[in-house]
Amino acid sequence: MNRLLLLTVLLFTIVTVSQNTENIFGSFESNSQFLQDDSALNFTSPQDNFRSNNYLQINYNTGNVSSGIQYESYLPNAMLGYYPEYNGKNQIATYFINVKNEKADITLGYFYEQFGNGLIFRAWENRQLGINNAIKGIKLNYAFSESFNLTTIYGQQRNGFELNEATIQGVDSNLNLNKFFNFEELDLSIGASYIGRYQNNSANTLIPANVKSLGARFNLYSGKFSLNFEAIIKDADVIANEGVIQSNKLYDGTALQIDFGYSKKGLGLSSTFRRLENFNFYSDRLAEGNIYNQQTISYTPALTKQQDYLLTNIYVYSAQPRLVINPLENRSGEVGTQTDFYYTFNKNSTLGKYKTKVAVNFSYWAAIESNFNQDESYDVEFIGNGNRYYRDFNLELKNRWNKRFNTTITMLDVIIDKGVALGGPLGIQGDIKAKVGVIEGTYRYDNGKSSRAVIQHLWTKEDRKNWAGLVYEYNFSTSLNVFIADGWNYGSNDKIHYYNIGGSYSKNNTRVSLNYGRQRGGLICVGGVCRYVPENTGINLNLNLVF
Amino acid sequence: MKKLFILITFIFSLSINSQSVLPDISLNTLNGEEINIQSISSNDKIAVVSLWATWCVPCIKELDAISEYYEEWKDEVDFELYAVSTDDSRTIKRVNAMVNGKGWEYTVLLDSNNELQRALGASTIPLTLIVKNNKIVYRHSGYSAGVEFELFDKIKELK
Repeated sequence: MNRLLLLTVLLFTIVTVSQNTENIFGSFESNSQFLQDDSALNFTSPQDNFRSNNYLQINYNTGNVSSGIQYESYLPNAMLGYYPEYNGKNQIATYFINVKNEKADITLGYFYEQFGNGLIFRAWENRQLGINNAIKGIKLNYAFSESFNLTTIYGQQRNGFELNEATIQGVDSNLNLNKFFNFEELDLSIGASYIGRYQNNSANTLIPANVKSLGARFNLYSGKFSLNFEAIIKDADVIANEGVIQSNKLYDGTALQIDFGYSKKGLGLSSTFRRLENFNFYSDRLAEGNIYNQQTISYTPALTKQQDYLLTNIYVYSAQPRLVINPLENRSGEVGTQTDFYYTFNKNSTLGKYKTKVAVNFSYWAAIESNFNQDESYDVEFIGNGNRYYRDFNLELKNRWNKRFNTTITMLDVIIDKGVALGGPLGIQGDIKAKVGVIEGTYRYDNGKSSRAVIQHLWTKEDRKNWAGLVYEYNFSTSLNVFIADGWNYGSNDKIHYYNIGGSYSKNNTRVSLNYGRQRGGLICVGGVCRYVPENTGINLNLNLVF
Repeated sequence: MKKLFILITFIFSLSINSQSVLPDISLNTLNGEEINIQSISSNDKIAVVSLWATWCVPCIKELDAISEYYEEWKDEVDFELYAVSTDDSRTIKRVNAMVNGKGWEYTVLLDSNNELQRALGASTIPLTLIVKNNKIVYRHSGYSAGVEFELFDKIKELK
């Protein structure tokens, strides 16, 4: 409470002294749940059945100096499925001061940063996922010229409200080669990164105190084509599982990602290949593979289409970059590909009077083929023919029928390894094969009023069998809406309805949403990173204010 | 609970005297060209800033809906839409393919480690702003059918 008071006083001081040339802005976000027992789900609400995550962020800028603080509270406890370290805590979580001019940009305090496409290093925040792995220390970015800049970082990573003991150092450079070669139709840039972790090995010299990753990349654009390449090697390090070091044996890691794109007006194609072998990097060697996505340095999201409908996001993939050697399972990482295709038909095509839009997505992810030896070493192929973890095919067709009515039809065909979808060892429990069909229609009345309805069905013979889904949403205006939704697992013995009812109000700087219902247990994924949420029933209230 | 209440009251009082301007942040276009977002609405230019992502269904609905009228509206009022992609490395390579495949004529900017999104306090997208002389004059989050017309009405008021 004292801290809160201090904070308030501090803020008021800032507000009172602020002049017109200065600028204060920030936001407040509050996400709360009120849980209740639900015998149909076998859900017994925890003793603290009110849970609330709150974030207050205030920034103050003057001239070329900017600063900010973020206060977080998880009282009485963090919402279900969040990192337990947050439970019952409230305090200032991050703060920074930044000074910049045309060449230099210096940040002291907590900062976020990403090198290349993030594979080697990404410090970021996502509140829905409960991720905030900011680094506390110093970040310096210097632009030597328009074509060349360098970023260096040094500090310790946040873990809950504490800092991890290990120190992280990094350097990233970007060089645009256009100036040197006077390319006309070509845009070429290259980059190189280094990230290192120093963590005390408690005099066990078999465990390295220093572990580093080195990466190189290039990005090439030429008219309609683009090609991006990034490769990373990571020093040999021990592997850990559930907080325990497996042995003193060391294993190095690699990552490779290649993206190809072609696009012109009305047509777009992009294709990605990625191979991750024993590639994950944490700011604490014992944090490897933790289920809360905490203490990560590398960023290895699943490269599949992000699903947004009730039933298309039941069987979702999460990336499998780890090396695991134990009696139950042996695996060394994942390899696979994803392709997207977008096309817009001309007006009055056979598919519709207005411009019909098509999107196709395909992805395939599998284990890298590897042979494991008696001495816990392994031989590995570049790709090989490893166990399939995931394969999906998505088709989406958007049509406008007149000025008021439009539809979207989505089809998904997915195969997922049971271990990936439900937990347990990978590649030995068999697959779940499912097909999902979704039809969505939106009708617009006048004055911002509109109706949206979605009907969907999931067919599968495995797991919990068939599902049917329905969503109806009515918008009273562009600010206020209400919805009802139900995902009915009618194919299973329990025939559970996952119903939800709610609404939201959004106007200017304020957004409030409220809903009551059942949450299906499973993975909540944002941008390819997933958080597990247990099944629960209750009221959820979200509030977001910006000032 | 009481603390929360005090906090909320405090923030409401803050928001009354708030100035809403765009922060000093430079973002890259798809070709790697750097644009400072404070410059996009200087000299009375009207700019619409829309935060979106390739995986965000309502965002795409909104940008699709605006794209049907974009040329027509620009003939009537001089404005520019900046579609700021918040895609991270997972999906950023899809941005170009999607923008072209959908035939969008917007200026696309990349906010790949969500610097602008954080500075704007946008916990959810889509977030759409109208900016003039760097002042945020309209802000809307979420999409429902018809929001695009409300947006254009606001743009016309600023002419």
